[in-house]
Amino acid sequence: MKWARTAVAFLISAACLLAQPQWRQSPGYPAYQKGNALFVARKFPESEAAIEEALRLDPKLVPALTLKAKLAMAGNRFDVAGECLRRALAADPTSGYAEFLYGLEAYLTNDLRSALPRFEKAHQMSPADPRVALYLGIASETLGQTDRALSYYEEAVRLEQRGGAPQAATFLAGARLLLLMGRDGESEQWIGQALQVEPGSRDGHFELARLLLKKGEAAPAAKEGEAALLLRGGDTTDAQIHYLLIRAYRGSGNSPEAARHADILRTLEGNAPR
Amino acid sequence: MGLPLRLVTLGLLVASCPGAPPAPAIRFEEIARKAGLNFAYRNGAKGGFNQIELMGGGVAVLDYNNDGCMDIFFTNGAEIPSLRKTGPEFHNRLFRNNCDLTFTDVTEEAGLAGEGYSMAVAAADFDNDGFTDIFVAGVHRNFLYHNLGNGHFADISAKAGLGGAGTGNPWSISAGWIDYDNDGWLDLFISNYVVWDASKEPRCGTPEQRFYCHPDVYTGLPGQLFHNNHDGTFTDVSRQSGIGRYIGKGMGVAFADIDGDGFPDIFVANDSVRNFLFHNRGDGTFQEMALEAGVALRDDGKAIAGMGADLRDIDNDGRPDLVESGMINDSFQLFRNLGRDRGFEEYGLRTGLLLATRQLTGWGLGIYDFDNDGWKDIFFATAHFTELGRFIGRDSALPNRVFRNVGGTRFVDVSAGAGPAFQVAGLHRGVAFADFDNDGRVDAVVTQLNGPARLFHNITAGDAHWLAVELRGTRSNRQGLGATVHVRLPDGRDLYNHATTAVGYGSSSEPLVRFGLGANREAEELEIRWPGGGTQKIAHVPADGIVKVTEENQR
Repeated sequence: MKWARTAVAFLISAACLLAQPQWRQSPGYPAYQKGNALFVARKFPESEAAIEEALRLDPKLVPALTLKAKLAMAGNRFDVAGECLRRALAADPTSGYAEFLYGLEAYLTNDLRSALPRFEKAHQMSPADPRVALYLGIASETLGQTDRALSYYEEAVRLEQRGGAPQAATFLAGARLLLLMGRDGESEQWIGQALQVEPGSRDGHFELARLLLKKGEAAPAAKEGEAALLLRGGDTTDAQIHYLLIRAYRGSGNSPEAARHADILRTLEGNAPR
Repeated sequence: MGLPLRLVTLGLLVASCPGAPPAPAIRFEEIARKAGLNFAYRNGAKGGFNQIELMGGGVAVLDYNNDGCMDIFFTNGAEIPSLRKTGPEFHNRLFRNNCDLTFTDVTEEAGLAGEGYSMAVAAADFDNDGFTDIFVAGVHRNFLYHNLGNGHFADISAKAGLGGAGTGNPWSISAGWIDYDNDGWLDLFISNYVVWDASKEPRCGTPEQRFYCHPDVYTGLPGQLFHNNHDGTFTDVSRQSGIGRYIGKGMGVAFADIDGDGFPDIFVANDSVRNFLFHNRGDGTFQEMALEAGVALRDDGKAIAGMGADLRDIDNDGRPDLVESGMINDSFQLFRNLGRDRGFEEYGLRTGLLLATRQLTGWGLGIYDFDNDGWKDIFFATAHFTELGRFIGRDSALPNRVFRNVGGTRFVDVSAGAGPAFQVAGLHRGVAFADFDNDGRVDAVVTQLNGPARLFHNITAGDAHWLAVELRGTRSNRQGLGATVHVRLPDGRDLYNHATTAVGYGSSSEPLVRFGLGANREAEELEIRWPGGGTQKIAHVPADGIVKVTEENQR
């Protein structure tokens, strides 16, 4: 029952869209601006208070409603998020960002049946937003539509590149799918591009290590795995890397190192080393 | 090893099958109703979203009356929260095979209606008296039924040291018989799931829409190992064996000697935490080595919702490989055994199984050669979690799946061609395998949550030949469980399999060791390696029959 997970961190790290000019005239706008700054600074309770104030002053202030929805999703209050987003879309049915978040709310509650059409609608409203294409790819992949997913990942990459801000995470989403589809060479290219964009990407080094191990290059895989272990950030856990390193070191004949990583992993999971 | 090689008993039921074998489509017809197999598993769900409602449905195939025809035992649920079988709709059921592909419900005369909320079953002759006994695992209460040999079973749980009731006892979800110390007596391994209490079932989902909780919400449990004391009693050796040190969320179990050292090892599929592989050291202790062996987690290091498991040689290299079912977007796992201390490698991607199963949720499974071409195929009992359908826009019910093994390098989903009845969706759970009509083609009996059991009669066409080996241990346990069998074919191929009844999820299959021989009309040589090391060879064994082999060295 963990089949549709995505990092809530996305909600926090995603840059907020600039509010449309019409909202700047709203009496709640200054409070919204304050709430947004606090949200970016990860001061969530303070941000929530400012947003409530903004919505008291203007209950239809769409940027405040979407921000409140993001806060709610970060706190697993998807019911609150859904209600905010419905209000936002009632106030401004053309808000592609609100529609995207509405899709995300459905996706995060594993309701793919609702998520996909909402993402598609957001895509029509905001065709240049790479995040929408990325999530259309993720949702399509989750539903087993691999070719469709891949084309959305490609589109997200194009949009990001056009906007001058390519993201390693987008390349890696495509790289993982390509690996699953057995298209190792293309996967390797995508990983390479991810590491070009973000040389210190833990996820990128981990995926490269996986690919190398799959190709039978155990020693280079171990090297990449060790590099990933030293990096921070990303979605890849230490446990995932230790598991890779166990196999990479065994594959390269270094049993003591394999055993060391196995012991670390057992300790991490609460089982004493053998 | 080193024993004189001599055939003691060789009984052949020969049916000649002339002609060269084509490559027919694997096909099944569903005959449960026609066969009188009138059983529906009831999980007792009343809207409470109790975790136990999701998991039941174990089924066993055994020849309880030794008439040469495989009978069927179904486990059943109970009322919740009392966990009592408050009416016949919750009774476990034993169906006698009338040897004409019809069945008669003999539950009452057998005394097997049962008590409590049953989950799983493991069938084997634990006391070497020649009659197959039944262990039923369940929620907070397990039962051992001794086959008295006269059509009746006696509940000997308390005397055997396997009884006990109440929430202090674990929720057991699978079990299997294994002679882990090769002393000639079958021991019992039990896979336990999580700490659960009806009165403390957490509420999950959203405020508007309740759903079953993720396993993360519950505390895991260790498995248990019970040593057979040779006198109808068992000793809990979980702690001293090392098994009890590992807390998991145990689901299906599979046994095989993965490294060829003569001692059977234990694989446990865990739900949402990593799997366990207990390597048998041969001194009564086990070393958990799933991490080192590469079968602990998915290739990307993430745990899957492990369900069923089977360990069989899928590439005919003499080493048992591992298949594990999981949940939608997990992909079912296939690990290829590299031999000795080299562990396993991920093999599902190359063979096509990984991508082909990504949208499935699987429970029971079995690796059997359904078309007798000499390459073992895979049958999966599939269904998404109940109530999940509304989240993914599809029905939770799924048709089962069968994957054809193409030369040990590729698995092709051939379900669409497996017959109209095979396309019917259901909330499938347990599956057990046997040749119910002794025609050499492996059939499958599958349970459904709150629905009728299905009996898939294998009607695959063609003239492919087959061989089944029925073992009788003398030094070894009577059914020869744990024995490995090697068949050398005239076309130069070597086939391998082993005797076990622990197959899939919560279920128990026939103890015979089966081989598809393809076009070969005989096995050039049959070699049996008994638990404990003795080997026997038989030359020129004709195809299309059951070979009965008795271990030559007396106890």
